[in-house]
Amino acid sequence: MLKEKKYYLTKEGLKKIKEEYKRVLELKKKKSKEGVPPVLHSEELNTEFVSFQEDLEFLKSRIETFEDILKNFELIKIPPKRERDKVYLGAQTKVELDGEIDEFTIVGTLEADPAKKKLSDESPIGKALLGHKIGDKVVMKTEMVERICKILEIRYT
Amino acid sequence: MEGIKKFKVDTEKLSQKEKVLFDKLIQAAELIAPLYLQQKNTKYPGANFYPHDASKEEIEKAAEKNSIILDPYTFVERNKSGELVAIPFHVKFAKELQPISKLLEEAAKLSENKNFSIYLKKRARSLLDGSYEESEIFWLTTEVFKFGFVIGPIERYLDKLFFRKCAYQAWVGILDKERTEEAEYFKNAILTSQRKILPGSKKVDVSKLGIRVDQAAIFSGQKADFMPTGSNLPNNVNLMEKYGSNITIFKPSLDLKFNNDQFPIFETVFAEELQKTYSREELFEASLRCIVLHEISHSIIRYRDAEERLKDLFPIFDELFAYILGIKGCGSLILKGGLTPKELKAILIMHICRNFTWWLDSINNPDVYHYAKGAAIATNFFVQEKAIKIDRRIFLPEFANLCICIDNLCHFLEYHLALGSYEEAKNFINQYGSFDVLKSFLPQLKKILKKKEAN
Repeated sequence: MLKEKKYYLTKEGLKKIKEEYKRVLELKKKKSKEGVPPVLHSEELNTEFVSFQEDLEFLKSRIETFEDILKNFELIKIPPKRERDKVYLGAQTKVELDGEIDEFTIVGTLEADPAKKKLSDESPIGKALLGHKIGDKVVMKTEMVERICKILEIRYT
Repeated sequence: MEGIKKFKVDTEKLSQKEKVLFDKLIQAAELIAPLYLQQKNTKYPGANFYPHDASKEEIEKAAEKNSIILDPYTFVERNKSGELVAIPFHVKFAKELQPISKLLEEAAKLSENKNFSIYLKKRARSLLDGSYEESEIFWLTTEVFKFGFVIGPIERYLDKLFFRKCAYQAWVGILDKERTEEAEYFKNAILTSQRKILPGSKKVDVSKLGIRVDQAAIFSGQKADFMPTGSNLPNNVNLMEKYGSNITIFKPSLDLKFNNDQFPIFETVFAEELQKTYSREELFEASLRCIVLHEISHSIIRYRDAEERLKDLFPIFDELFAYILGIKGCGSLILKGGLTPKELKAILIMHICRNFTWWLDSINNPDVYHYAKGAAIATNFFVQEKAIKIDRRIFLPEFANLCICIDNLCHFLEYHLALGSYEEAKNFINQYGSFDVLKSFLPQLKKILKKKEAN
């Protein structure tokens, strides 16, 4: 049997997901109330009907995704004190990478946004750093690039 | 019309008043072109900024006594006794600049945006009295305007003798909100880290970096000649440090360059198998990213004394370094999950195509020589380091090697900009700057070149 995918979320991330889920449910309710446009228009398929169906399908799929997340999520917790010198989910990490000093937080894929310094635990950096501690030099290798990353600081808040 | 390039722009969403304002800005931009043409002269490295019989040494000697000789905004002429004297642009062109300034004043009255109106008034005045800095500072420190508008003596590429004198240019455009948001996102993803500097170098920290994508309606003067796809202003490092810099990406010229040059070059120079793996849209996106990366990189690293040390060679290093540093930054972005390997490959492909484009451009326009020389350096570096193999005039890139090569080239270029001497820079150019590899593709590229000449 296939193992169900776990979604790692911060408290804020969970709050956002719940809000978005509620919003999409309301949207679907509103859309359904609008009534289905006629299938045919002048003996041809009515484009309004097609777009109505597409919108509804899209909303249904979003709802299913949110329900799956809400069923299979796990809140990111701060690790016990003795483990806080290691990179786990939620770690605010300062590294030296490619001659640059970089800071970011390791989050679950759903909350990842490199432009906001939130990196997925499934990104090459996330995968490589998990479990490593301050001072470690970690080699990251992908199809295109290879870099050494030195962990300078780890914080949990 | 010589010195002017126009693009079709959708003005439907502008109010009647805005349309009139927009037209006034376009008229002002058109009137800048003749001034540029009086500065331009491809027969002389110093264009028409200096007397053609004056040697570099004579000018330097005169500048020791009178620093205004090498001021960015003056013509150098001989007086009756044969001495070199400087005449400010706004004095020499006082008559021609009056109607341009008047159009800006009229446009300012039509603007419903108070700050844009102030900006236009400041620009109008600067054209007549040379107070360019004041309006530039205002432009850098105020909000993003609906209209993209820059006018005045700005870029220095025409002055191949000293890289000092500014050529007249103007552009008018309308903000493309959607593309601007995308560029802003990409910019933020690239600019998350702090770069270390080479010990002993004098780095300039740019305080803030704005970015916008414009549907440009007109390029005038130097802009029409160069047809750039992006701009990063100001050029003055002190202003950049204190007030930040503004990047503008010009969507219409990017469309034109992509459709007329880069994509046809891709279809000509790369193997069919590689061609099949990329759609036109993917490559356009990569081309846009290339230019965003390039312009951002101009602000990431700037060395205060680089222009003084490298003199006329500075723009070759500065422009190439911006391309290479930008691509290098993509390596970290891949590791962060902000870019896929396929997207980086597309950026590398478009960079190679862009190198061909600059070289082809330089065949008929010697003023883009700096870009072309940089393109030749990059191409030769990639080929010599075996990151690109050439088989029967087809480019076969080895992408992983190409990434290593980009890192190495980046280090070399940064050394020259941060610490290197003029002689070292010259030797580097002699080692890698030959056009032979690019030229060997001329038989295949003749069609593209002919089309360019016809345009």
